[in-house]
Amino acid sequence: MSPELTFAMGQYEARIPTDRLYSENHLWLKPEGDGYRVGFTAYSVRLLQDVYFLSWEIESGTTVRKKQDIGEIESSKALSDLFAPYDGDITRFNSLLMDDPSLINSDGYEKGWLYEFQTEAELLTAEQYVELLDGVWEKTQRVIKGQINES
Amino acid sequence: MAGKKLTVVISQSQSKNPAHRDLEETIAADLMMSGEVEVSLVPHLYDMSRDHSGMLFLKGIPGDIVFASWLYPRAAFWTLDRDGIRGQEGITTLHDEEDEEELSEENQQQANGIGSVEVPPRKIYCLDLRSFGDAEPYLDEVKRIVSEATTQTVDLMSFIQGNPKQEQLERYLNPLPILNGNGNGTPPANGANNGSIQNGDGATASNGEPEKVSRRWYPVIDYSRCTNCMECIDFCLFGVYGVDGLDRILVDEQDNCKKGCPACSRVCPENAIIFPQHKSAAIAGAPGEIGNLKIDLSQLFGAPTALEQAALERDTELVADGRDAVGMTVGIPKRQTEENAERDDLDDMLDDLDNLGL
Repeated sequence: MSPELTFAMGQYEARIPTDRLYSENHLWLKPEGDGYRVGFTAYSVRLLQDVYFLSWEIESGTTVRKKQDIGEIESSKALSDLFAPYDGDITRFNSLLMDDPSLINSDGYEKGWLYEFQTEAELLTAEQYVELLDGVWEKTQRVIKGQINES
Repeated sequence: MAGKKLTVVISQSQSKNPAHRDLEETIAADLMMSGEVEVSLVPHLYDMSRDHSGMLFLKGIPGDIVFASWLYPRAAFWTLDRDGIRGQEGITTLHDEEDEEELSEENQQQANGIGSVEVPPRKIYCLDLRSFGDAEPYLDEVKRIVSEATTQTVDLMSFIQGNPKQEQLERYLNPLPILNGNGNGTPPANGANNGSIQNGDGATASNGEPEKVSRRWYPVIDYSRCTNCMECIDFCLFGVYGVDGLDRILVDEQDNCKKGCPACSRVCPENAIIFPQHKSAAIAGAPGEIGNLKIDLSQLFGAPTALEQAALERDTELVADGRDAVGMTVGIPKRQTEENAERDDLDDMLDDLDNLGL
């Protein structure tokens, strides 16, 4: 079995490794200790492109609810709030990213992890996540093109 | 020669956005080549600790300062004040279109506050680098301030001919110097590690360790608005606020503040508490009182009032600390409980509508 799946975004092939789990808001969650390490999937990084700035609005060691606003990201393509993927506890942030958020671009599946997270929630497998991408990709393209046409 | 040259300090963005860096560097390089003003770059103001060399440099500036940063001017001015870098507020003519609308409102509500203390007779002009995407308006504004501030002492010819002094040329060739704490404008000898200086990495403390700048979160008091009513000290249950020897409110233990929590600024009746990094412009120190000018219909649909929101935010932080939530029972200003809050909101909104002349 292949260690990773791919999802075609036009010419670009987003890698979706099978050694970890996923969330509906395009994060990967890789088992680490008694929790998970969380980061952006290649799909979300492709949409963000170069990351310039990342800021968190909560301290580490905070209990969060699914969809709670926890931070903000600025990239060459977007300025967006960031939301917790599931109910759980954010135990630690990746301090390397405060000085150099470009690790999200250069090594998004390893050194560019965002935070460590503990949750009891049921997560998506790589296969389920790719299915989800199949479902949302058309709509995402329309949203992006719509926004570009407006500006 | 001019006795006190104008000093222009550019406080760098936290973001690695190349457009931000370009703007900072273009302004710095142009001003250095003009030779008319002293120019320095320091890390992001809000993140510098009090003994950071950039902060010590700022404290050492004797004369007028133009302070350009990625903050609202009000937020920058009062953050400087809090760190002992005081002066009279220099009036800048640099405003983007949005500011213009707020300006008349802003002028009407001045001088109710208790003001700062020990304000030296010099001016601090705060410019918002987010107002314009190119350097020209900022360079023009610096020229205008120079002519306004020291008409009689400035040697205009050397400016026009653009003869930079040796040390100015040196700084131009080694851009982005972080200055030593001695305040004499001499860049450190190791100032040539190009570009890595952002976030203070290029600055070196006296012990030779690189100076770290980490993200911080704390309130900044605008004393031109603060009436010393003490509602913030009653409301905050984390011991952030205190009083000084003159019984004036101050941010005493800023590191007790809970990251992301802006609750006390919602409680302040004068909008005098600024969290420069908050997403909401009114809380981050935007001109005027945007919260009151723009109608927020979300309250009609069940959103909490500002005080309820503040109590919720405080409860979240209390529970996170393993303490009990207190809801609206502690430190909530009496003005709300004595009145019919619901009717109040409606009245406010109708007043706002009338004011807008719709």
